[in-house]
Amino acid sequence: MDLIINPYILYVGIVLGAIGVCLALPRARVSPQGIGALLAALAGGLVIIGLGLRNPEGLPNLYFYLFSILALGSALRVISHQRPVYAALYFILTILASAGMYLLLSAEFMAFALIIVYAGAILITYLFVIMLATQAPSEEETERLEAYDAQSRDPVLATIIGFVLLAALSTMLFRGSAALPAGTIDAGGNAVLAQLPRRVERSLRDADAWQDGDRFATDAAGLPAIDPEHRTATLVRRGEEVTVEFPESLQARNVESLAFNFLNEHPGTIEIAGVLLLMAMLGAVVLSRRQVQFDEEVKARQARRLAEAIRREGGAA
Amino acid sequence: MMPLNLSALSESHLIDAVLPLAQTGFPEPMGAPALAHYLFVSAAMFVIGLIGFLTRRNLIIMFLCTELMFQAAGLALIAFSRFHLEHSGQTFVIFVLTVAAAEAALALALVVLLFRKRESLSSEEWGEMRG
Repeated sequence: MDLIINPYILYVGIVLGAIGVCLALPRARVSPQGIGALLAALAGGLVIIGLGLRNPEGLPNLYFYLFSILALGSALRVISHQRPVYAALYFILTILASAGMYLLLSAEFMAFALIIVYAGAILITYLFVIMLATQAPSEEETERLEAYDAQSRDPVLATIIGFVLLAALSTMLFRGSAALPAGTIDAGGNAVLAQLPRRVERSLRDADAWQDGDRFATDAAGLPAIDPEHRTATLVRRGEEVTVEFPESLQARNVESLAFNFLNEHPGTIEIAGVLLLMAMLGAVVLSRRQVQFDEEVKARQARRLAEAIRREGGAA
Repeated sequence: MMPLNLSALSESHLIDAVLPLAQTGFPEPMGAPALAHYLFVSAAMFVIGLIGFLTRRNLIIMFLCTELMFQAAGLALIAFSRFHLEHSGQTFVIFVLTVAAAEAALALALVVLLFRKRESLSSEEWGEMRG
């Protein structure tokens, strides 16, 4: 197997990246964050461009470069920015760049679900908690930083551990180049069209292959006779069976094939996910409720007020 | 140089709608990214999240770094799903999102609780819980 990247370029890139990340992490005194970020960017560029050199297809496409550099750069900013709010905002940028890569991998539904769920819901919750759980700065020191934000713990050791892991992972990756297969993921999933007769009908109508009064012939099992493999459907037209071809535009969409896969093949997992969400909700309620201590006098006063209210209610009725 | 590989770019219908530049064209340097490219980006993102989790001392940022690692795992799943032309990878990213949401809810409740007790988000405030 031939390597798609010269291992020396890869390792030089990884070492450079490690030094860069290490310098970019926040420190107590003057921290060389800018230089670190620059080095890390250089390393990332080196590795990612190196990835293309031996690739028989030439360099990977420009969108991939754009999104991956954006994603990794803002991920670095998430861990190196001293202010939690900015870190959360940079995380949103990482999400957007990942969604871009999902689009390149023809996972359209997941790309938008990612933006809605992550950037829209989870990150907003994070921002809420960041706002809740920080003391407001006083008027004199609006730029106050907490000590635990300003300084990271053992940056050198952690970086070494992380990048040794990255080197191990990527050495295994580059023992061979597996190109992504041609075609789209959903073309292979066109089989789901057999279960979508109304969509086939609408598409045939648009292509004028469906006349008023037509209906699908039924096969032995009583299902509409749609054959996605040969891209034909059998219709009953004025008592006779006619076979019509699918128009070119009739393709299964990402969300349709994904939905069939989701509901047909993983029903048990959906149940487990539901239980997990319920447990998380209960856990969050239990954890974050505040226990209020009433003393006896307050309790007695409230009981009296309640009794009073009930009596008045009874009198009115 | 390879000719502009439009079929790889326009393999998703949405790319055509969202990024019309794909049709009018950038200059040459485009081929199809292989599986390994996406896996490398995913591994690098995971490692950045790991380093962040180990070094940062702010509880909220530590949990943000776990989200970064979830994100990296999701990217690898999507890349494999594209590689095998099989939807299960994408389906599992839905479950990854579910787990991430559950984790965020629990972790943030925990953070709020801990902040109420010690008025600080530092993870070292709780150093006595070390075994």
